[in-house]
Amino acid sequence: MKQIHQQEKEQFKQLFLQEKLDNFEDRYRILDVFLQIENHVTLEEFIGVLKDKGVDFEESFVKQTLDLMCYFGFAQQNRFNNGLVRYEHRHLGQHHDHMICIKCDRILEFEDSDMEALQIRISGRHGFHILQHKMELYGLCSQCFPKQQASISLVMAKQGQRLIIREFTGGTTTRVRLSAMGLRVGDEIEVITNSSKGQVVIAADRTRFALGRGLAEKIQVEAVQ
Amino acid sequence: MSAVTEKSITIALAGNPNSGKTTVFNNLTGTRQKVGNWPGVTVEKKEGTIRGFGHELVIVDLPGTYSLTPYSIEEIVARDFVLNESPDVVVDIIDASNLERSLYLAVQLREINCKVVFVLNMADLARRRGIKIDAQKLSELLDVPVVFTVGNKKEGMENLLKTAVELAESETPIVVNRRVRYSADIEDAIGKLQAEIQEHTTAAFPYHARWTAIKLLENDEVIRERVLEKLENGSRRILDTAERLRKQLTDQFNDEPEILLTDERFGFIAGIVKEVLTTTTQQRVDISRNIDLVLTNRFFGFPIFILFIWAMFQLTFTVGDYPKAWIESGVGLLSASLNAALSDSLFKELLLDGIIAGVGSVVVFLPNILLLFFCIALFEDTGYMARAAFLMDRVMHLIGLHGKSFIPMLMGFGCSVPAIMASRTLESEKDRILTILITPFMSCSARLPIYIVLAGTFFAAKAGTVIFSIYLLGIVMAVVSGRLFRSTLLRGQDAPFVMELPPYRIPMLKSLMIHMWDRGKMFLKKMGGVILVGSIVVWSLSAFPRNIEYSRDYDGQIHSISDYFEREIVAADPQRQKELAANLEAELSVLLAAKKAEIAEKSYMGRIGKGIEPVFAPIGIDWRGSIALMTGFVAKEIVVSTLGILYAVESRSAEALQHALKNSGMTVLSALSMMVFVLLYLPCLATVTTIRKETNSFKWTAFSIAYSTGIAWLAAFFVYQGGLLLGLG
Repeated sequence: MKQIHQQEKEQFKQLFLQEKLDNFEDRYRILDVFLQIENHVTLEEFIGVLKDKGVDFEESFVKQTLDLMCYFGFAQQNRFNNGLVRYEHRHLGQHHDHMICIKCDRILEFEDSDMEALQIRISGRHGFHILQHKMELYGLCSQCFPKQQASISLVMAKQGQRLIIREFTGGTTTRVRLSAMGLRVGDEIEVITNSSKGQVVIAADRTRFALGRGLAEKIQVEAVQ
Repeated sequence: MSAVTEKSITIALAGNPNSGKTTVFNNLTGTRQKVGNWPGVTVEKKEGTIRGFGHELVIVDLPGTYSLTPYSIEEIVARDFVLNESPDVVVDIIDASNLERSLYLAVQLREINCKVVFVLNMADLARRRGIKIDAQKLSELLDVPVVFTVGNKKEGMENLLKTAVELAESETPIVVNRRVRYSADIEDAIGKLQAEIQEHTTAAFPYHARWTAIKLLENDEVIRERVLEKLENGSRRILDTAERLRKQLTDQFNDEPEILLTDERFGFIAGIVKEVLTTTTQQRVDISRNIDLVLTNRFFGFPIFILFIWAMFQLTFTVGDYPKAWIESGVGLLSASLNAALSDSLFKELLLDGIIAGVGSVVVFLPNILLLFFCIALFEDTGYMARAAFLMDRVMHLIGLHGKSFIPMLMGFGCSVPAIMASRTLESEKDRILTILITPFMSCSARLPIYIVLAGTFFAAKAGTVIFSIYLLGIVMAVVSGRLFRSTLLRGQDAPFVMELPPYRIPMLKSLMIHMWDRGKMFLKKMGGVILVGSIVVWSLSAFPRNIEYSRDYDGQIHSISDYFEREIVAADPQRQKELAANLEAELSVLLAAKKAEIAEKSYMGRIGKGIEPVFAPIGIDWRGSIALMTGFVAKEIVVSTLGILYAVESRSAEALQHALKNSGMTVLSALSMMVFVLLYLPCLATVTTIRKETNSFKWTAFSIAYSTGIAWLAAFFVYQGGLLLGLG
């Protein structure tokens, strides 16, 4: 990594000097800090980092420099799904792919040589020469995913299981109606019967309910810990 | 108390399903309305009037409802009564052992402008479960009178009435505070909408502004329509405001307002419950739960259910046979002694051939009917009915209905009229009509005598099995027809199925007896009414005209034959004399039978029968059977009466109908065909009237009649002609 950064700094110097840009020393310091950051930052976050390093510039100057870096291809702007502009540095000749968690907005980078080779093979088949590519996989990160998995539809529950109602995915009418009958999110229930076709008998406290499959599918439950 | 200024006070009993409203109602009014252990027993409001505390008290028993947001017709009945009829007092019957949920309806009742009394019913059960409720505190917190009752032990009834009457008499305005307070944003929205409503309200608008505002925010269809209807000018503005506020709340909380309001009500209730409820020794063993583990089990549940149904029919037939034989011999004895005592006259014919043959042939089935209803009552009172609905859910899905529709169908084994009424518990209108259309295929108890007569005569030992198969055929036809309607006339998704399974209760013998006796009384009343009249009509039509023109001179022939044989006998030797006497006897009986057949055929009834015979000939039913089936429209029992009269006329003897049928040329196949026809063809007059009332449509009623009769004819045709082809004739 260090070596790559060194290489980039050299390229940067060369390009900036070629273009006869002003305040080279200041911009160079910004670049230096930027290259040390391995994650994706917003402008505000980056200014914060600069200040921590004792580098204090006007916001407009920093933005201009970042934009220039993007222009020359050292950095790139990225709008992930929450809409905020984030900057990350772009290793020319190098790249990485992203996995974005839709729940917590965490961004994970990954590289896979098989994948790269595959891309080259595919584009080759089409007589296409790759200059750049970008891959973003949206999904749930390892921290968010277990929560989803633990919650299952009531139809999947086994007889005798004790569960907590987590969510009603059905319409409003159904939800209000079940509430009135005494079934609400957070209630603890026990599965008395689950016929293979999805008809379910559950007990909530001392009240028992028979539910049809359609309705049972719309009740998300979670095992009692 | 001054009885001078007597004022009538209306007291409405409201509450969750299965909270014991009808038991309380029966206790208060001394009536015997049907009580059962499943949600939806009461589908119609029932009234009873008593005198007490210097007033005429009109007690109204309402169908159970979980909230003031109705989903099915019976719930709409309940809400409409409370809202539109403005009873003087609403008594909310609360199942004390399920306080939290019951309070949901209770706090909603507090939101409308009416005087409310809370009744904590089944207080003993709650105590046994270690639940203690501080009534004093509950009363203070919600500012309503609270009384304890134990419905099935008649405890607390006097106190309940006294409290209700006092509240009705009191001049104090209805307390408006101590109602649910919603969170600031919601209260704000309610306030704005309330102001809008108040601005446009007129005297004609029946509801309280705040409550209307809440209901509009909850998007209540009925109230919206009522606003459009009653507040022509302002309604658009009000509804627009409501829509805007709903959107605003939805955006703000990321949830529909009806959910927000429901959640907040429950929040409010949770606070109350915390204050008033203490649970001590938790009795952990829930017997009902354990029973459900077995009876609703995915493997055993269904076979057990079939076993129960089979046992029900077996009990009805086999055990019922003994008392039936006693009544039969009683009727025979009566008939014989009257025959000996009375001299020949038209009156004697009417009495013996008309009334005794007609009514007597049906009344013998009283024990069977009683037993069948005893079994159904057993299902209802124990709480098994709701489980049956659950178990049948899978089967009902084949039709695109859900298990709840099976309750009306199961009740249909008893009588189609209450069964069709019971379909009111279904939320979807299409589901309801579909259920109404197929319920008559469930063989009702009135058809039972017909099966017993026919199967008993022609299938002897296998009668029980044959009758059970007829019942099964009814279920199959119901399912097939349902499937057909669902994919053609009544397309649609099946509504979500959720039903509370009530706790199992050991049925009270007294209650079972009451159920049974009420039914028995109805049956006997029918005997003295419609069956008696029907019998007389059928007999008259078959006994007149008296002076018919015979195709040959029977009397002359009889005379000449008698003369001839008598001369021969005198001349013959003793050995030959016996032979001749037997010959005479035989020839005479042939002539007499031919004469009687001609009398019957030339009677009015015979002419009608001959007229319709061509319709029934292809299904193997002769003119007498045709007549009997026709009369069955009035009431199904009359089919047996008519058979009794028509065949008795011919054989003119005390021998049972079964003998007469066997000698009449009816075959096993035509008996089977007739049973199938009886199972499926148009329901009785009372049922047709009920279908008309419940579907509110002539079209569906006519369709039901045409479809069932058409299917009956086709099915009987296949049975009869198919049987003939197979050489079973």
